[in-house]
Amino acid sequence: MDGNVYIPIAVLAALGFGFAAFSVVTGALTGPKRYNRAKLDAYECGIEPTPQPVGGGRVSVKYYTIAMLFIIFDIEIIFLYPWAVTFDSFGISILVEMALFIVTVFVPLIYVWRRGGLDWDH
Amino acid sequence: MIRLAASETLIPAPNIEYYELSPILIVFGVGVLAVLVEAFLPRAHRLHAQLALCLTGLVAAFVVVCTLTDEAQENARAVPQKVAAEGAVAIDGMTLFLQGTILLLGVVAVLLLAERRLGGEFAASAATVPGSAAEKETTRLGWVQTEIYPLLMFSIGGMLIFPAANDLLLMFVALEVLSLPLYLLCGLARRRRLLSQEAALKYFLLGAFSSAFFLYGIALLYGYAGSVRLSDINAAVSGSEDNDALLLIGMALLAVGLLFKVGAVPFHAWTPDVYQGAPTPVTAFMAAATKVAAFGALLRVFYVGLGGAKWDWHPMFWGVAMVTMLFGSLVALVQTDVKRMLAYSSIAHAGFILVGLVATNAEGLSATMFYLLAYGFSTIAAFAIISLVRDGSGEATHLSQWAGLGRRSPVVAGMFALLLLAFAGIPLTSGFTAKFAVFSASASAGGTPLIVVGVLSSTVAAFFYIRVIVLMFFSAPVTDGPRVAVPSLTTALAVWIGVAVTVFLGVLPQPVLDLADNASFLIS
Amino acid sequence: MGNTSNGEAVLFWILAPITVLAALAVVGSKKAVHSALWMAMVMVNLAMFFAVQSAPFLAVAQVVVYTGAVMILFLFVLMLIGVDSSDSLVETIRGQRIAAMLAGIGFGVLMIAGIGNASVDDFNGLTAANSAQGGNVEGLAALIFTRYVFAFEAIGALLITAALGAMVLAHREEIGEKLNQKALSIQRFKDGGIVTPLPAPGVYARHNAVDMPALLPDGTASELSVSPVLRARGDVLEPDDSVAAEASQRAQLGKGSSS
Repeated sequence: MDGNVYIPIAVLAALGFGFAAFSVVTGALTGPKRYNRAKLDAYECGIEPTPQPVGGGRVSVKYYTIAMLFIIFDIEIIFLYPWAVTFDSFGISILVEMALFIVTVFVPLIYVWRRGGLDWDH
Repeated sequence: MIRLAASETLIPAPNIEYYELSPILIVFGVGVLAVLVEAFLPRAHRLHAQLALCLTGLVAAFVVVCTLTDEAQENARAVPQKVAAEGAVAIDGMTLFLQGTILLLGVVAVLLLAERRLGGEFAASAATVPGSAAEKETTRLGWVQTEIYPLLMFSIGGMLIFPAANDLLLMFVALEVLSLPLYLLCGLARRRRLLSQEAALKYFLLGAFSSAFFLYGIALLYGYAGSVRLSDINAAVSGSEDNDALLLIGMALLAVGLLFKVGAVPFHAWTPDVYQGAPTPVTAFMAAATKVAAFGALLRVFYVGLGGAKWDWHPMFWGVAMVTMLFGSLVALVQTDVKRMLAYSSIAHAGFILVGLVATNAEGLSATMFYLLAYGFSTIAAFAIISLVRDGSGEATHLSQWAGLGRRSPVVAGMFALLLLAFAGIPLTSGFTAKFAVFSASASAGGTPLIVVGVLSSTVAAFFYIRVIVLMFFSAPVTDGPRVAVPSLTTALAVWIGVAVTVFLGVLPQPVLDLADNASFLIS
Repeated sequence: MGNTSNGEAVLFWILAPITVLAALAVVGSKKAVHSALWMAMVMVNLAMFFAVQSAPFLAVAQVVVYTGAVMILFLFVLMLIGVDSSDSLVETIRGQRIAAMLAGIGFGVLMIAGIGNASVDDFNGLTAANSAQGGNVEGLAALIFTRYVFAFEAIGALLITAALGAMVLAHREEIGEKLNQKALSIQRFKDGGIVTPLPAPGVYARHNAVDMPALLPDGTASELSVSPVLRARGDVLEPDDSVAAEASQRAQLGKGSSS
């Protein structure tokens, strides 16, 4: 019905792609090309990157706890978004509701912290 | 687009009926406190604090449920009826009856979880790799994974909401709240840990899959009715004449999700593996309480929300009930593991309970509720007894090891025999009363074929129950077979409660039948 | 707003095939990482669908929670089991893949037949729902914090369970007292061995990298000054290499450079 609203988006997208293409192409055309082994290496400070062991190197399971905490607070944030947007349309009730929710979500954080789930040095 | 200034009139605060909701709130509150206990108390004090906290909370919640029932009965109406929390929670007869049942089963489950004298059923530290040095060290130090108590409380909390949920959204959240802790608890067994972890993973994967079906069903029903509230769905169903595809598919998908939790054929595949692998107290709790909660939800969705479409779902449930009864009974015949046998028996019982459900009258509702109560206590006690029969490596669940158990420990074997007779539906046990109630409700609703199948599969089932009894009492004891371990007081108490309820409901069922009759009321 | 707008239709017909192909790739990829990345693509596309269907909140939630958090968790789990791990193609149950495919296709056909039949030509109530409180997000908030507030608070229990479960399954607690720095230091001296920091790698005119060992007073290379990983990989230079390199350069520069 009203496709006009997409025009700015399309223009912005075209500009974005255009700039990226321009940068890459111009850089490739105008820049000097003198390669050596060091330049072709993957960029990393100091020494060459250590090759991964077979199976791709496994990270510590500690990350899992952190990832889970991240998800929990991410979900909390999702609820904070409509809450913040409509805060003015409600009375005090919404403050209490959200306070209760945030306190509930903080309980596991306290538990994880007390049990050393956030300690990284052992 | 410029937003206009916020409208002058504020959105009114939601009405929360704290008193009516307090059983749920108490249980969740205790769960949160239990997490804080885990966080702040030193290891040595955690177990006792958790036990005290959980038992107090469950009993308090049960007392509130009783007062709620009582108050309502003093008023003119025989049953309480109130929609709480902005219409999201229905506090009616069925809710209170089932909540009371779940809370009592929860108390028994806490008693089972607290078993310490047999070395405990739960891993000392679930994060240690099975068979590792760390596992041995934590076991030697006598660690206890006390997180099971808050997990159990959250699960119970979810179960309290599940049959009470008056809209599908809350019902879904409740489904997840009750399932997630169960998935975890299944993986925490102390012995045969890999089997236990496999069970947890299977349960989790299939459970997540069935939740997805349930959620998709909700979405389609919302598309059909424009609301997730059961009363609105009912209005939409009654208002339209034609069969809408959205309604039919949504209904079927919803049924898949709920029948999975119940363990009805063809959504039963997880039951034997999970019942076998999970720590026995968890199996006991799952077998008893999950069924209560899931059947409650099933009743509410299909009686209240989809009652108008009865002729669409009725044939499906007929079929499911028949297949479930027959399949559970027949496959149980060939089992060689006691836990697996009881798992298949629990599938068969799901079928019997479904017979009550498809009666679709108040009688059927009351019979279903009574059956859930009776079966819950019998099954929790049966699994508790299984956890007592042990040999050097833990529980001895293979049937051949049970030979001659009755001669060695007549009391325990006698109690197990009684529970098996209750499962078979022999008179003077709760199982008979329950089956009779269900079948008579079905008869009044014209379910004669169902009753025929039911009686037939009861006979088949009776065969293998009695075979176990014969094995226990009339065959020669196996050399160096398992012994019945002397449990701590809590487990003994749990067994006695279960057996006592089984006998009481068989001999003097009338007060509880009346209670169920009075409670067989749903807010529409 | 009774029907699909042109812009939405164009977007749909571009994105829908991509989404379906990406979803198939999720199932079809042999490597778990590839599946996860295709999954991210499906999720972002879904977010775009939500956005054009006047459900901005859902689009935001999709990006923040699913593409953001859930994908991260997927990738973390993949890192836990090893990034390069791939499916074994051996079926544990014979014909399982075919059966699953048939069942999936059957279910899909059933759904398409059923829902395709439903009368969903017109949007119903979208405008009303999005304008009741002044916007989509506001309208949702008015529902979440009143009508569904109980479900909202119950989600707290779900989140606690998630954290509890992650800790129970993944957090191995220290057995016994945790050693503090002082105890660790005492321990180190008791054990003997090297108590000082290890010697630094060599610093020469041509090399200041960690792959060049330091020289001991007697002129030999110090084994301790370079990482054993580098040595195992054969990446460690010897001081002699440096001397040789300098000699060759000197030769290239011609005579007269050294007197």
